[in-house]
Amino acid sequence: MTVVVCLKWVHDAAQPDDVRFGAMSPADHSALELALQCGEWAHADVTAITVGPAQADHILRDALACGVRRAVRIETSHAVSGADVAAAIAAVVADAHWVWCGDYSIDNGSGSVPAFLAAALAARQALGVIHLSFGDAPTIDAGVIEATRRLDGGRREVLEVRAPAVVSVEGATAHLRRAGLTALRTAAAAAIEVIRIATPTRVDDCVVQQYRPRARELAGPDGVSALARVLSLTGAGGARGAASARRTVVLDPLDAAGRILTELREWGYRT
Amino acid sequence: MSDSVDVIVVGAGPAGSCAAIVAARAGLSVVLLERGPFAGSKNMYGGVIYARMLDELIPKWWEQAPIQRWVTRRSTMLLTDTQALTVDFRTDAWGEAPYNGATAYRPDFDNWLAGHAEAAGAQLLTSTTVTGLLRDSAGSNRTGAIVGVRTDRPAGDLRARGVIACDGVNSLLAKEAGLYEHTDAKHFTLGVKETLALPKEVIDERFGVRDREGVDIEIIGGTGMINGGGFVYTNLDTVAVGVVLKLSKLAAQSLRPEQVIAGLKANHAIAPLIEGGEVKEYSAHLIPEAGLEMMPKMTANGMLVAGDAAALCLAAGIWLEGVNFAIASGMYAGETAVDAIRAGDVSARGLAGYQKRMRTTFVLKDHRKLRRAPALVLSDRVQHLYPAMVANVAERMFRVDNPQPKPGLRRIFAQERKRAGVRRRDLIRDAWTGFRSYG
Ligand SMILES: Cc1cc2nc3c(=O)[nH]c(=O)nc-3n(C[C@H](O)[C@H](O)[C@H](O)COP(=O)(O)OP(=O)(O)OC[C@H]3O[C@@H](n4cnc5c(N)ncnc54)[C@H](O)[C@@H]3O)c2cc1C
Repeated sequence: MTVVVCLKWVHDAAQPDDVRFGAMSPADHSALELALQCGEWAHADVTAITVGPAQADHILRDALACGVRRAVRIETSHAVSGADVAAAIAAVVADAHWVWCGDYSIDNGSGSVPAFLAAALAARQALGVIHLSFGDAPTIDAGVIEATRRLDGGRREVLEVRAPAVVSVEGATAHLRRAGLTALRTAAAAAIEVIRIATPTRVDDCVVQQYRPRARELAGPDGVSALARVLSLTGAGGARGAASARRTVVLDPLDAAGRILTELREWGYRT
Repeated sequence: MSDSVDVIVVGAGPAGSCAAIVAARAGLSVVLLERGPFAGSKNMYGGVIYARMLDELIPKWWEQAPIQRWVTRRSTMLLTDTQALTVDFRTDAWGEAPYNGATAYRPDFDNWLAGHAEAAGAQLLTSTTVTGLLRDSAGSNRTGAIVGVRTDRPAGDLRARGVIACDGVNSLLAKEAGLYEHTDAKHFTLGVKETLALPKEVIDERFGVRDREGVDIEIIGGTGMINGGGFVYTNLDTVAVGVVLKLSKLAAQSLRPEQVIAGLKANHAIAPLIEGGEVKEYSAHLIPEAGLEMMPKMTANGMLVAGDAAALCLAAGIWLEGVNFAIASGMYAGETAVDAIRAGDVSARGLAGYQKRMRTTFVLKDHRKLRRAPALVLSDRVQHLYPAMVANVAERMFRVDNPQPKPGLRRIFAQERKRAGVRRRDLIRDAWTGFRSYG
């Protein structure tokens, strides 16, 4: 049973050239704390892993001081994409049961690494978790974690997660414990495992031209007075109420699809 | 990892790092504790370091220290609302090795110095605040020998044979050890500064310097009705403008310190130098201004105090030096701790060599010589009467009042003294104090 936490060493946005300000994202702090709790819950050692340069050892030492047992840094030969990062980590922790990640890093992170990682490990995924509760008395593989995810529009989703799984958490989900003094001193002198891997140089897809919706002709607003035209443009006072009123039609699937396409064209989403 | 070391140094400012370098190089196990996320991250000052004392510790330090500019031009300015009288000195000698003063950013400089402490074998632990002293259980809580420190971390006690307190002005540790008889707000000034970004070429042109040459302007006056002083220092592509303010007067005027800086920046003698500069940073810090008058006892059983923690900053008007005093006292504290631990006596008596090292060197000699200077410089006369009086004398000296004949200097001076309302007796007394201090 292994518990893994993935940490990323990021630059401070305000001081991008200054390595002294390099640190983990708040979400990674949260992930580290939950990984440690998970380790206590599952009676397993926790491994911290990062893909990054030598300066990133600094956050691994912080993790060691907080109670992680093993720290691994993967050094890649080239700058890598989120998918590559996930593949590199998956190769090292293929047998992991629980993998904890921050939901996204503060340096323009897109939150894709946890998802790629779940795919690479063929594990379950619970991404963007804001609340967790560990089920009780797990046997080695049977533990269940109840995870609440944030969905769009303020909605929530509750998942029952079983190993193997990748869980990514938001920064406010847990508060990282403070390392003890002796642990801090030991961690400062601890060895970090470094794994060097050759990564292919990739040509990034690059956007040559930004997407722009095609121009389309719009009829001028109705109305004789300026006020009436403004009202009809903005829809204030219910001028457009009739046009946008909800309509329910009952059709068979084929006609329904055709109707949707027609409506979309009318609304200007298709040409 | 054992929970006991030879020496704990508290505070990774210049005093702490130098103490740690010396003790670690002597083969002692040293832990250097710093509350900031890295050494220097919490530290500010005006801007000029005189690092001669480092010659011994880090030979040719100037080839590797992260300095901004070498001060080759030093001005002392008397400032009124509408006048400025400047003594401006420049020398090429300070622009080449072994140099004299340098402007530097403290987060760079302190971090570099702490790196040397680590290289010497000291263990630097950051984001760790010392919250108190550990006492020998044999003695009482107030008198037992100091045997370590307590930190804000879980299981955060660390024991040591000796503690060196380098925790800066208003030292928690020196106070807790009972080394300050009393502390009084009137012994402190508040230093505030703005760092303004300007392109290097603009700074070079406005200040008349090239390459790595830099300028140090110390200002008397310019702080309105608040007793204090000002400074302007050049970095590579920023200019530091700041004021040092007497706390009691600041409170009485109910002004914000940044308003005082704004006043200085608007003065016609200063404004053209910094015009267009974008404020990058605003910072403030206390200065132990009163010198000898406020210094604590610097040794306790098991503990030494160095740098600002021991009020060793020399703030005497045309001098504002603390980093060099911190470096030196840190080194001496380190040496003393090494001797005492080797001799097996870390009692206050065993540490007595520290005071002696300082008494026989500039650390306390300069303070003794200049002991009356801080009070003189901050006195109401020097602050509010003399600048205008002297500036008026200069203005009349250099004014061409044809068809009036040129007046004699003695007459102008007597008239201006009266006009300023300065009594001859006071003037003579102040001149004598000044002469004894600076002469
Ligand atoms: C506005 C201003 C201008 C100045 N200009 C100059 C100048 O031009 N030239 C000059 O030489 N000097 C100048 N000084 C004085 C100089 O800054 C100080 O004298 C010098 O920094 C003292 O060094 P230090 O190592 O004793 O203390 P500090 O530099 O204050 O270092 C103390 C260190 O201890 C740490 N610390 C404090 N408490 C704790 C704790 N409880 N636990 C852990 N760590 C702790 C702090 O974070 C800090 O890193 C100026 C000061 C000010 C305020």
